[in-house]
Amino acid sequence: MKYLPYVLKHLRRNWIRTASTVLAIALCIFLFCTLQSVMAEVNALLEGTSANRLVTRHAVSLVFNLPLSYGARIQSVHGVKRVAINSWFGGSLPAKKEGQESGEGDSSTTDWSNFFPNMAVEAEPFLAMYPEYQLPPDQYQAFLQDLRGCVIGRKLADKYGWKLGDTFYLESFIPPYRKPDGPFEFVVRGIFDTDPVKYPGTDTNIMLFHHKYLYEGTGRGVAAGSYWVEIEDPEQAGAVSKAIDALFENSDAQTHTETEKAFAASFVSMAGNLALLLNGIGLAVTFTILLVTANTMSMAVRERRTEIGVLKTLGFSSPQVMGLVVTEALLLGVLGGAIGIGGSQGIMWMLTHAPGIKTALAGIGLSELNLRPLVASLGFVVALFLGLAAGFVPALGAYRARITEALRAV
Amino acid sequence: MAMVDVRDVRKIYRRDAEELTVLDGLSLQVQAGDFVALMGPSGSGKTTLLNLIAGIDKPTSGTVVVNGTEVSRLSETQLAAFRSHNVGFIFQFYNLIPVLSATENVELPLLLTSLSKKERRERAATALKVVGLADRAEHYPRQLSGGQEQRVAIARAIVTDPKVLVADEPTGDLDAKSAQEILDLMETLNRDFKKTIVMVTHDPRAAAKAHTKYHLDKGVLTS
Repeated sequence: MKYLPYVLKHLRRNWIRTASTVLAIALCIFLFCTLQSVMAEVNALLEGTSANRLVTRHAVSLVFNLPLSYGARIQSVHGVKRVAINSWFGGSLPAKKEGQESGEGDSSTTDWSNFFPNMAVEAEPFLAMYPEYQLPPDQYQAFLQDLRGCVIGRKLADKYGWKLGDTFYLESFIPPYRKPDGPFEFVVRGIFDTDPVKYPGTDTNIMLFHHKYLYEGTGRGVAAGSYWVEIEDPEQAGAVSKAIDALFENSDAQTHTETEKAFAASFVSMAGNLALLLNGIGLAVTFTILLVTANTMSMAVRERRTEIGVLKTLGFSSPQVMGLVVTEALLLGVLGGAIGIGGSQGIMWMLTHAPGIKTALAGIGLSELNLRPLVASLGFVVALFLGLAAGFVPALGAYRARITEALRAV
Repeated sequence: MAMVDVRDVRKIYRRDAEELTVLDGLSLQVQAGDFVALMGPSGSGKTTLLNLIAGIDKPTSGTVVVNGTEVSRLSETQLAAFRSHNVGFIFQFYNLIPVLSATENVELPLLLTSLSKKERRERAATALKVVGLADRAEHYPRQLSGGQEQRVAIARAIVTDPKVLVADEPTGDLDAKSAQEILDLMETLNRDFKKTIVMVTHDPRAAAKAHTKYHLDKGVLTS
């Protein structure tokens, strides 16, 4: 500890360089923590998927619907246990119109700040294939018997303070899912929970309602957004997927069937391998920052070559001089790490509180984005590693420096 | 027994296949409390000899004994410990650490001891008082004149109370007045504090302060 003031004085010597180096490390840790947190949330989302559920969608894009007649044909495929329509409604609470007290019920203006995932499903088969959603039997029955009824997850219920019997309105931003006479009215008939131990990653910030209500409400004009398929044997997922797609190979609406996990991954990333992309960015940035920091440390130590000679002349041993340089580098890492972690936490708080972005994240199931302690710890370790790796070569140079040569340095 | 006993020392520098003999069988004895000046032309080996006595370089052959320790046989780590306890080094260009105040510069060698911060500060203050810079304790090197910087460097050299002071052209970068003050200070350290001083100099006025003068030329010492 008695050497710390000496090290700190050296860090303050060229504060612009020190600040730049710290910021470079901070940027790296910021990116690392933020990207890893996104990855962690995505993985948690994927963990909530089941191996015995498949998703059949339009082969071209999710944007295109599939005919309602496909349900029965998919059901006939060997290995399929049950099939349910699942259409992403894309509804949000109508915003308050100018001059109106309440924002709900009679407005056609969309309030994007209150967006949450909502699906039009074939209730019975869909809930049967989702044991994750634990709904009391009486509420389940009430939901089945009410066309306007919906079930909501506990998180969503808590968010809006909704109780059984409450009414609210949703309007989709997708034109075919809109009614000419205003938003859809829903009655809360059930609130489901989940077992986080048995079903980790299951998000209860979601609402389900009857596809039939959507179908009738829109004048019987909509088809199925996708089909959720439960299969008998997860081992047969590949074969069943191929069999389903083969059924519609020569139709106008060809299908693409994949596991729920693959579907969720593609839905979240929308393109390519998200993990590879994010990790690739993280690695490239880390490596670049490492080079920059190492160069800066080398310059800082080279400038002080005479001082290193003086320290050794005064009786400082080579390991002690090396230790001083390493400590300096580690301090840069600590400072950069702390700022990077703080920045990451800050940006995630902003993302999950900024209306437009919050909505977009919630729409793909990322309603929560937090800096997990493990990610923060890892980020800090990476910062220390960066400091250590950047300082190692200059420290070794200081260790090896011969006094007579160091004192001759200009 | 001599405070510094250099016997039959050879120092050869090698660069690739080329060999350069700087010191060739040199011997020198400096008694405790002596003040020795080493003179000679550039490249004659004065600084090399000083470095061997200070324990910052090793001879190719021969022995160097300082204060009863054969420094030529010590390892690098042992040499570092030896220097911190036995030798104070005064450089031509002061070599103070620019980011540290005068007190902190003087305190630097004491970081290697087990003294408390308070004790270190007290000793640094005493050393600065000895060199007449008690009122500049918190000044940084850039705020001091060349003569004052050299006095801080001398305070740093004596703060651990070493037996031997080695000075490599201590007045070489100073004006005449400052140089005289530094020489007076070194004379005081030798006379009143009984420090054994070995000084390399080109300056005849500086050499005049010494009790003993040696002339070094092409690695051979003559008195």
